[in-house]
Amino acid sequence: MTPDMIIPLLAATVQSGTPILFATLGAIFCEKSGVLNLGVEGIMAVGALAGFSVSYATGNIWLGFLAGGLSGMVAGGIHGLVCLVFLGNQVVSGLALTILGVGVADYLGTPLIGLKAPGFVPTALPLLSDLPFLGPVFFRHDPLVYISYLVPVGMWLFFRNTRAGLRLRSVGENPDAAQAAGFSPTHYRWLGVLCGGFFMGLGGAYLSLAYTHMWANHLTAGRGWIAVALVIFAFWNPLRAVLGAYLFGGMMAFQFRLQASGTHIPSSFLLMLPYVLTLTVLVFSSWKGGSSATPQALGVNIEPAD
Amino acid sequence: MDTQITGKMLDLTIRKRQESLKGTAALIYCGAVLFSLLLSAALLIFQGNSPVEGISLLLQGAFGSMYAIEDCLIKAVPIYLCSLGVAIAFRLQIWNIGAEGQFALGAIGATWVAISFPGLPSWAMIPLMMGAAFLLGGAWGVIPAILKLKMKANEIIVTLMLNYIAILILDYLVYGPWKASDSYGFPMTDEFSSAAIIGTIGETSLNWGLLICLLSGIVIYIFFKFTVMGFELKASGENVRAARYAGFPYARLVIISMLLSGAFAGWAGFVEASATLNRLQPTIMVGYGYTAIVVAWLARLNPFYIGISSFLLAGLRVGAENLQLELQVPAAFGDIMEGMILLTILAATFFIHYRFARRQRS
Amino acid sequence: MRKILILLVLSLVVAVGSAQAAEKKMKVGFVYVSPVGDAGYSYAHDLGRQAIEALPNVEVKYLESVNEGADSERVFLNMARKKYDLIFGTSFGYMDPMLKTAKRFPHTVFMHCSGYKSSKNMGNYFGRMYQARYLSGMVAGAMTKSNVLGYVAAFPIPEVIRGINAFALGAQAVNPKAEVRVVWTKTWYDPAKEKEGAKSLLDVGADVIAQHQDSPGPQEAAQERGVYSIGYNTDMSQFAPKAHLVAPIWNWAPYYMEVLNSVKDGTWKAGSTWNGLAEGVVDLSPMGAMVPEAVKATVMARREEIKTGSYVVFGGPVLDQAGTVRLTAATPDDIDLLSMDWFVKGVIGTTE
Repeated sequence: MTPDMIIPLLAATVQSGTPILFATLGAIFCEKSGVLNLGVEGIMAVGALAGFSVSYATGNIWLGFLAGGLSGMVAGGIHGLVCLVFLGNQVVSGLALTILGVGVADYLGTPLIGLKAPGFVPTALPLLSDLPFLGPVFFRHDPLVYISYLVPVGMWLFFRNTRAGLRLRSVGENPDAAQAAGFSPTHYRWLGVLCGGFFMGLGGAYLSLAYTHMWANHLTAGRGWIAVALVIFAFWNPLRAVLGAYLFGGMMAFQFRLQASGTHIPSSFLLMLPYVLTLTVLVFSSWKGGSSATPQALGVNIEPAD
Repeated sequence: MDTQITGKMLDLTIRKRQESLKGTAALIYCGAVLFSLLLSAALLIFQGNSPVEGISLLLQGAFGSMYAIEDCLIKAVPIYLCSLGVAIAFRLQIWNIGAEGQFALGAIGATWVAISFPGLPSWAMIPLMMGAAFLLGGAWGVIPAILKLKMKANEIIVTLMLNYIAILILDYLVYGPWKASDSYGFPMTDEFSSAAIIGTIGETSLNWGLLICLLSGIVIYIFFKFTVMGFELKASGENVRAARYAGFPYARLVIISMLLSGAFAGWAGFVEASATLNRLQPTIMVGYGYTAIVVAWLARLNPFYIGISSFLLAGLRVGAENLQLELQVPAAFGDIMEGMILLTILAATFFIHYRFARRQRS
Repeated sequence: MRKILILLVLSLVVAVGSAQAAEKKMKVGFVYVSPVGDAGYSYAHDLGRQAIEALPNVEVKYLESVNEGADSERVFLNMARKKYDLIFGTSFGYMDPMLKTAKRFPHTVFMHCSGYKSSKNMGNYFGRMYQARYLSGMVAGAMTKSNVLGYVAAFPIPEVIRGINAFALGAQAVNPKAEVRVVWTKTWYDPAKEKEGAKSLLDVGADVIAQHQDSPGPQEAAQERGVYSIGYNTDMSQFAPKAHLVAPIWNWAPYYMEVLNSVKDGTWKAGSTWNGLAEGVVDLSPMGAMVPEAVKATVMARREEIKTGSYVVFGGPVLDQAGTVRLTAATPDDIDLLSMDWFVKGVIGTTE
């Protein structure tokens, strides 16, 4: 590794972290309302397919991106239906949704394999991209990356400063109190599930529209599970999610560059790096106190009393 | 308390059932399965196939012959053991998503014994392999338990990350130091000696792993039903704060439940390596650890129901294979069916505990 | 009269019987490890399957996404129980399950791709893809300016290592300064990760990207960076028209046709078949327009020499990374090629 490889490495970090970041943010939004969602992988797969196919059919990449989000919302809605209406177990529903979502995407997507659809390409931001160091690392990406810089801040402000955000959080902590305060906890959980699904879908669409420009079976390849883990890594904080996603994406990019530079460390150990480091950082930051951020009613359905 | 959920469905509201419905529960499950089969039939029509033929192929493939039932049982064995394991942790509200990694470590432990001491007779070999699988799988479960207790690290992320790490350790071993000399460079260990292979039962193709399942299930049932620790574990799961107040040794319970949880998954790895592959290779990892979570919850963490639901889920997968082969539908079709069936059954369990009632006008 | 009647009935029975025998369809099954829609390795086999599906009196079915290990054993058993006459399994990990099944069902012919075991009714086969890889290496070696070639590879198994080595030797044949840098992804199919692997190679100065992966992820990386790429499995030029120089490709149809016919007329024999360029099971896709005519001519000339046997890829002496002579024979033993787990000189990376 030489110093002139650092900038490309960090730029690659941002890009490979972006799909995971969108998905992690979606999962945070969902879990803040108290609904555990292990279906991220399936929702991302559906979003990736919808994004690609709409971009292919209409030629409009933004429409494709939007479709990725909306389809993620629909897929998230299934989780909502099972958990919020039929009070099904959130763990099983999420896992089943993963199986279903990946299956549906692979099934419907088969005719699209090998086709080219328009996708997002890097667009340097004027002025900012000329900054030394920061420019090439952060501001010479595709537009979706720039959006991914704004979403965490927006989400953080939403949770902190808006009434809906505060209510959504309180539903995740204590739905009974919400009921007592005079608003329906179920409505806010729906908000969490649907909007969360939207962002997970965007994460999927990023994979098929920007990271690569293709549809392939199982394009998500386990990134949804990484998002599930990073939610906890981030202590449900949208700003910390950025750190988690970049740490993970960065280690993946770093180990490839170590391999390319001709190291003799076995590849199994190098590929372990992202997981080991994520784990280590999590353990130490939990130790320093931060694990108390878990929404108290996470995974617990709102049961009728009588 | 006026805390009914305002489902806003017509003029209905949701009520918790007062009495538990033993007989009705079975009826509801059957209804759910039937309904999900109907949904699958609809999917088949959408695919352009005869629904009657499709469903009968599915059932035939799963339960239509002795072979088929044996196949389902063989496939159910690792799912059952992993599921029994995660259920113990879930009882205590410890979210162990790590059966996959614990399975891998169990397989590694058993393999280490098998290839390090190939000369051992089977009466020593099999118990040693089981012991090693128990210890390594268990250790892989205890790590997140300790990190949770000492460092307050959330077990979901720790177990999930440990899954990836375990698989890469397995990879390293079979691509590196454990690679067989006669494998032409392919990643696999030497074939186990015949003493290290658990045999088949009589004339069937079933292996003695089934017996391990049976005994483990009984032991776990007794553990929860009749031992003090089992009671403490259950009670702590239902209410951690009260249990701590009552002086239950929470930390010890967490460690023991994760040890057992990992150990059972480890045994599943042992059975797969010994009985079905006869060696260790990367393809041993096919996701049983994740399937187990679904199975455990569907069975409400009960060892007996876990048996039924792992058998049925195995049947669904085996049957879907037959459907694919005969009708030449893509593999993803089987996944769609599985996902839909699980979601339907899950939604249907609602009716076991709740009923819709006409909204009372106040 | 009675005799005539009996004769009539008998002849009728014989006639019906033989008509049934003639009409009896041959049942052939294919088992793949990944979905056939992946446009990669399984897809290439499936093109071969489709070719024999078109023949009369043959019923051909396939199962995709079948896990290696216990799942595959069940699938082979069920196909054998359903009286399939011929079963192909195209993934390495199917070897042992297939062998077990073959012992129990001696009347079914089993064909295993990419392994090394055989029995009375089980044969194994593969293609000498390394010959086509060597040729693609020549193209890459001629086109590189930085003399750094990048190779995104799936798993460090002999098949992949052999391909990398052949590629490096081909490149060095036209450009002695060429070096090959390798990254392992430990996945056959993860387009985004494979693209990331390719980018890391581009960052260390590679200006041609080759791949042993089933997705076109690396092709995209090369196209975006404005450098060249070498595809795999099938012609991948549609994914990177400006970058794609050439691809070593599979062509299974003729071989599958041959196996089917030999089983049909009873001449099939168990054994190992390792066909190459000469038999047409591997080849090169058409070369891109950016490849100069002179290079095309050199490569095609070498292709002919390999076909006729006047040039042998891996003919000794072949040195490993440390400079030790590993292959000395003018025509190496297939065993040494099949179990290759070391890199040739000029490859940078590790086989672990």
